[in-house]
Amino acid sequence: MLHLIAARMGSLMARRAAVALTTSSARMASHGREVSETVDMSRPMYWDRLDTPLPDKAYKDELTAADKSLKQKEKGPWSQLTNEEKIALYRLMFNQTYPEMKQPRSEWKTIVGGIFIFMGFTGLVVWWQSLYVYPPRPRTFDDEWQAKQLQRILDMRMNPIEGFSSKWDYEKGQWK
Amino acid sequence: HALMIVFLISTLVLYIIVAMVSTKLTNKYILDSQEIEIIWTVLPAIILILIALPSLRILYLMDEINNPLLTIKAVGHQWYWSYEYTDYEDLGFDAYMIPTQNLVPGQFRLLEADHRMVIPVESPIRVLVSADDVLHSWAVPALGIKMDAVPGRLNQTAFIASRPGVFY
Repeated sequence: MLHLIAARMGSLMARRAAVALTTSSARMASHGREVSETVDMSRPMYWDRLDTPLPDKAYKDELTAADKSLKQKEKGPWSQLTNEEKIALYRLMFNQTYPEMKQPRSEWKTIVGGIFIFMGFTGLVVWWQSLYVYPPRPRTFDDEWQAKQLQRILDMRMNPIEGFSSKWDYEKGQWK
Repeated sequence: HALMIVFLISTLVLYIIVAMVSTKLTNKYILDSQEIEIIWTVLPAIILILIALPSLRILYLMDEINNPLLTIKAVGHQWYWSYEYTDYEDLGFDAYMIPTQNLVPGQFRLLEADHRMVIPVESPIRVLVSADDVLHSWAVPALGIKMDAVPGRLNQTAFIASRPGVFY
């Protein structure tokens, strides 16, 4: 939004508008107080990222004399640059080439390995708990108790229309 | 069927995740999409309103008069229920859960009680639920009822048991 206003009003007006549209400094200054301007002091950074190409600054900042002469040569017609010079110029501007950026790394192996280690440890903890922490099973889990419960459910005709007892064939004495 | 749908959806989501993560495209940041944002906010809101209004209507319809033939009071204590049938004569009793070690083989653990609440079949029943000490909740899942028992408050629920049997 701000840059649209700047484009319309020209640079001088834009600076004033930019200052006026900043929040606290505008309000404080109107009360006659000294206020420091909020200034963007960030410096351009270099990054190697596939999804945001063309970083804000070149990779190599301090140019040697050879680099500077190469840069001078770059200002002429490019057909006169040899292949090695072109590669050298690229390496001045950028750290990695696209194939180098896309190279597969093996950090996933570490991550997956760590995950499995923690899952295994959890399994150990669970097994130890089932041995030493849980109380003994109630006697209602024994097979004959469960069989008697099942027989009682069918005798009581629980859920006979769509549920449990509807799956039992009472004439034949077996599941449907 | 439900499991089939679960697998379908999770396969779809997994495929989308993998496609998002492993894309070779580099322009991934699209900003400023006002129109579709408005559409996919307003349209679900309309759909939800269309669902909510009949639902509220049904909710209030469920509270309508059903002329109960019997009124039972269920009062919750720590840790038993007491039932009072006071329509014709004064009848009241306590119902304790049968402890696991006293169960006869075949009985259901944590479900059996020494005195069951008896109701006539195929009759509208009104149950007034309250509590004596702390919050309880009176529920019979087989009949589809649950009502919180709040001390100092009477909550009403009504139901009809369509077939004879024991309901837990």
